[in-house]
Amino acid sequence: MSVIDNEKYTAISPAEFFLRYREIAGFANPARALYQAVRELVENALDATDAHGILPSIKVVIRKADPIQDFYKVTVEDNGIGLPPHIVPEAFGRVLFSSKYVLRQTRGMFGLGVKVAALYAQMTTGKPIEVITSKPNLKFIYYFKLRIDVHKNEPVVLEKGSWRKTRNWHGTVVSLTLEGDWSRARSKILEYIARTAVATPYANIVLVTPDNEIVYYERVVNKLPKPPKEVKPHPHGIDLETLKKIINSTSYKTVYDLLVKNFQSIGEVTAKAVLKQAEIPSSINPKKLGETELLRLVETMKNYKKYKPPKADALSPLSSEIIVAGLKRMYNPEFVEAVTRRPSTYHGYPFIVEVGIAYGGNTPLSDKDKPVLLRYANKIPLLYDEGSDVITSVVKEDIAWSNYLVELPAPILVLVHICSTKVPFKGVGKESIADVPEVRREVKLGILEVARRLRRYLAKKIKEEEIRKKIVSIAKYIPEVVRALTIISDGPGVSREELEEKLVNIIVARTGLSSTDIKRVIDSVEIGA
Amino acid sequence: MSSSVDKSVREKCISILREKFSEIVKRIVEGKRPVLVMPKRVLTNTIYDEKNKLLLLGPEMQRRSFLDVNESRKFMQTLLMASIIYDALANDEYPTIRDLYYRGKHTITYRDLHGRIHRENTWDEQRESDSVIRDLEVYLGLLREELLILSKEKGKVVGNLVIKSGDDVIDLSRMGHGAYAIEPTPDLIEFVDVDAEYVLVVEKDAVFQQLHRYGFWKKHKAILVTSAGQPDRATRRFVRRLNEELKLPVYILTDSDPYGFYIYSVFKIGSITLSYESTRLAVPSAKFIGVMMTDVFGDEAFRKLARKANLKNVFKDAINKLPQKKPYLSESERKNYVIKAKPKDVERAVELVGYSLALACLEDREIKSKIRKKEGLTGYPWFHTPEWMRELCIFFNTLSKLEIEAMASKGLRFLADKYIPEKIETHDYID
Repeated sequence: MSVIDNEKYTAISPAEFFLRYREIAGFANPARALYQAVRELVENALDATDAHGILPSIKVVIRKADPIQDFYKVTVEDNGIGLPPHIVPEAFGRVLFSSKYVLRQTRGMFGLGVKVAALYAQMTTGKPIEVITSKPNLKFIYYFKLRIDVHKNEPVVLEKGSWRKTRNWHGTVVSLTLEGDWSRARSKILEYIARTAVATPYANIVLVTPDNEIVYYERVVNKLPKPPKEVKPHPHGIDLETLKKIINSTSYKTVYDLLVKNFQSIGEVTAKAVLKQAEIPSSINPKKLGETELLRLVETMKNYKKYKPPKADALSPLSSEIIVAGLKRMYNPEFVEAVTRRPSTYHGYPFIVEVGIAYGGNTPLSDKDKPVLLRYANKIPLLYDEGSDVITSVVKEDIAWSNYLVELPAPILVLVHICSTKVPFKGVGKESIADVPEVRREVKLGILEVARRLRRYLAKKIKEEEIRKKIVSIAKYIPEVVRALTIISDGPGVSREELEEKLVNIIVARTGLSSTDIKRVIDSVEIGA
Repeated sequence: MSSSVDKSVREKCISILREKFSEIVKRIVEGKRPVLVMPKRVLTNTIYDEKNKLLLLGPEMQRRSFLDVNESRKFMQTLLMASIIYDALANDEYPTIRDLYYRGKHTITYRDLHGRIHRENTWDEQRESDSVIRDLEVYLGLLREELLILSKEKGKVVGNLVIKSGDDVIDLSRMGHGAYAIEPTPDLIEFVDVDAEYVLVVEKDAVFQQLHRYGFWKKHKAILVTSAGQPDRATRRFVRRLNEELKLPVYILTDSDPYGFYIYSVFKIGSITLSYESTRLAVPSAKFIGVMMTDVFGDEAFRKLARKANLKNVFKDAINKLPQKKPYLSESERKNYVIKAKPKDVERAVELVGYSLALACLEDREIKSKIRKKEGLTGYPWFHTPEWMRELCIFFNTLSKLEIEAMASKGLRFLADKYIPEKIETHDYID
C-alpha cells in the first residue's frame, strides 16, 4: 500500500489561501474579526482622504444584522477620492489587486485586509459586499453588490447600478455583513477609534454602535499631515521580483539608463560603479538580461555601500502640531508637547519617529513601571503586544522618569509614532515594533527631547506651588497679627488697614511674593469663635 | 475688688507690653520686617552655673520672624497671646493659664490659592499656649505671676508666720486643721511677722497633715510647707522668699526615690523648662534631709561594693571622706517598708546620674539589659557629687525605694521628734 501515491498536489488561489490562514490577517475568532473588519475599513477610508489632501469625515456604523445569529453589518463611509467604477469589482473582489504597489507610506500595506474581511464575511454569513462610490469629477454615484469566487479568485458582480449626483458628493461607502461578537469586541473597537482619533484631530469621526451609542470626535484642526510622495525605489530595498516588474514596464533601452532613471540615489557615477561591480555592460538592454545576471545585479545593488541615504519624501509624519492637537482633544492635559525627529534610516529604509507627551488634566493614571503608551505605526494605532514592543522597553529601561520629576504612577502618557516605507514590525501580527538599534535610538532621543520639556514645566510648577504655599502660610495669619497689634499698641494711631497694607508691602519687598495673591488669602480669612 | 498692690502691677505690665509691641508696629510702619527677639528657651541653651549652683538660661537669642514660614505660626500665636493678656490686664481680670488657652483658641478659616477651604486652630492643645506664655515671659522680662496670670497652685503652708495678702493680714499659726494655700502671685505677699528657726518642705501632702496635727511646727519652731508633689512656681517662689528675706534655712523631705531626689534638685537649683526663672525661684542653700538611701540601708554594703567593683576609679578617695552612716531602719522594718523599684524608676535614676554608675552598681541582669537604651547618658552635673552617687549607687544595687509615709508608720513620734530634728542637729543631710 502506498500512501505517497495518494498524495495530491493542488494549487490554491490566493483567496483560498487567506481563507484558510485567516488567523494571520487577524480573523481568528468572531470578536477579533469584527474588530479587524472595522480597522481595515477605517484605515482604507483615512487613506482615501488625508493622503489626498481631503479633511476626513468618517462614519462607522455597526448594526446587529440578524435577530437570532450574531451577524453584524459594518458600514464605513468616507468623503475620500472614491474609486473609478470599473475597478471596484477588482479592488474588493480579487485578492492581491491593489493600488498600493508603489512606494509610499500608507496605512494598509497591500490593501489585503479589506479583502480578507470580505472573504470572512462571505464565509460566515453568505451576505455580499456592498460598495457605493464616486470620484469628485464624476457625474454619477455607482453602486455594487459583489461576492468573491474563492476558487477562481474572481469578483462576481451580483448587482450594479448608478444614479446622477444631485450634490457634489464624493467618497466611498463599504458595507460588510459578518459574524461577530460585539460584547467582547466592544472595548477594543472603542479603544481603536479613540486612538485613531488622537492621531487624526483633523478628522470628524463618528461611531454608531449596536447599542445605539454614538461616539463623536469633532475635528479640531484644519491642517493635514504632509501627504506622502511617491518615490522611486531605493536600491537597498530591491528584490528580484520588483526588478523584473520595473524592467517589464520600462522603456529605457540600456540597463545604465534603467538604473539612473528608475531608482533614487543612483546617479551616473553610482550606476557605472554598480554595473562594473556586477560585471554587466552598461549598454545592454535590460530586457535581454538572463536570470543569473539579474540575480547578480540584485545582489550587487543590495550590497553596494556608497548610496546616498533614501529620501524621506515618501514619509508622512503627523507633525508635532497635529499630535499636540490630538492629545489635547482627547485628554485636555495641563502639559502637552510633541516633536518630529529628523528622518533616519535602517537597512536602507527611511523612517521618522515622532513623540508626544501629555501630562495631567484627563490623562489616565499610569502603571508603576511606565507611562501610559500610545503606539502608532504609519498612523495606525497598535493595540496588542505592547509588552514586546521596543517602545515599551525604551520607556521602561532607557528612561529614568524620576530624573524628569515624574514619580510613577502619574497622569502621564507617551505617544510614539514611527512612520516608514517599511515599518520594522515584529512577527506577522504587525502589532509591535522590533528592537532595531537605529529605531530604538531615535525613539529614545525623541522621548528624551520631550521629557526634558516636561521636566522644565514640572520644575516650574513645583516652584510655583512652593511659592503659593509660602504665600498662604504667612498671609493666613495677617488678620490675627494685625488685630493683636492694634489691641496692644493703641498708641501711635495706626489703623488696621494701614498696618495690613504695610505688612503686605514688607512681605512683597522681602520675599518677592505677589501682593494680589497675598491679599486674596487675607480676604478669604475668617476668624471663628 | 482688686487690691492696691494688684493695680500698680497691672499698670507696670500694661506699659511694658505697650512699649514692646509698639516697637513691632513701628518697625512695620518703617517697612522693616516684624521680628521678636528673645532668649532661646531650649535645653541646649540651659546652663548649669557651677559657682552659684543654679540652672540658668544661656546667652543664645532667637529671632522669631513673621516672614519665616517655619515661624509665622508661632509669631501669630505669640501676638495673639500678648493681646489676650493685655486685655485681661486692662479689664482687671485674673485669668488662669487654662483661661488663656480657651480665650485664644479659635479657628482661622481661609482659602488657599487653589480656592480650597482650610481650617486651622490658633492652637490645639494647652501645651502650645503654655509654651507661648513662657515665650512671652522671656520676651517681656516679666513673669507670669507679675502678669497676674493664675494657675492652679497646690502648695500649702502653716507656722508662726503673719503675712499680708491683698488687703488682709493672715496669721499662719491660726489655720486650725487646715493650712494657708500659697497664692499664685507670692510676690504680692508681705511678711509681717515671723517666729521660726527653719523651713521644712515636705513632698507629700499626707505627711504634711500628719506633722501639722502632731504640732510639729509649734514644737520645733518650723514653718511647714508642702509642695504636694512636683513643686509649682508659686510654692518655689514662696520658699525662696522665706529663705532670702527671712534668712530661714530650708530643709527638703521627699520620698527616697529618683523622683524625690529630682524634686529636691528643682527646689535647689531650678528646672530645665523654667531655667529663666531660676534666679527667682531656686533656693541654692536648700538641703536634702531625706529620706536617704543610707537612712534605710546604712552604708556598709556600699563600702564593700565600692572596694571590689570598678567603682574605685569613680570615687577614688572621695569615698573615705564620706561620713559613715548607720541605718534608721532595722532589718525587719526594711522588709516591711521597702518597695521594689520599677524599671521607670531605674531609668529616671540613670537620667539623673548617668549610665556608667548604673552599670557599675547594678547587679540585676534583666534591668541591666533594659537600661541599655540609655547608654551614653551622662546625667546632670549637679548629681555628680560623692554623696548623691552613693545614694544612687545603693538605689541601683538594691533596686529599692521608700516613701516618707514608711517613716511615719514606724511612728509619727519617731519621724517628728527623732528623725527630723536629729538629722538637722547632726547635719546629716546633703547640701
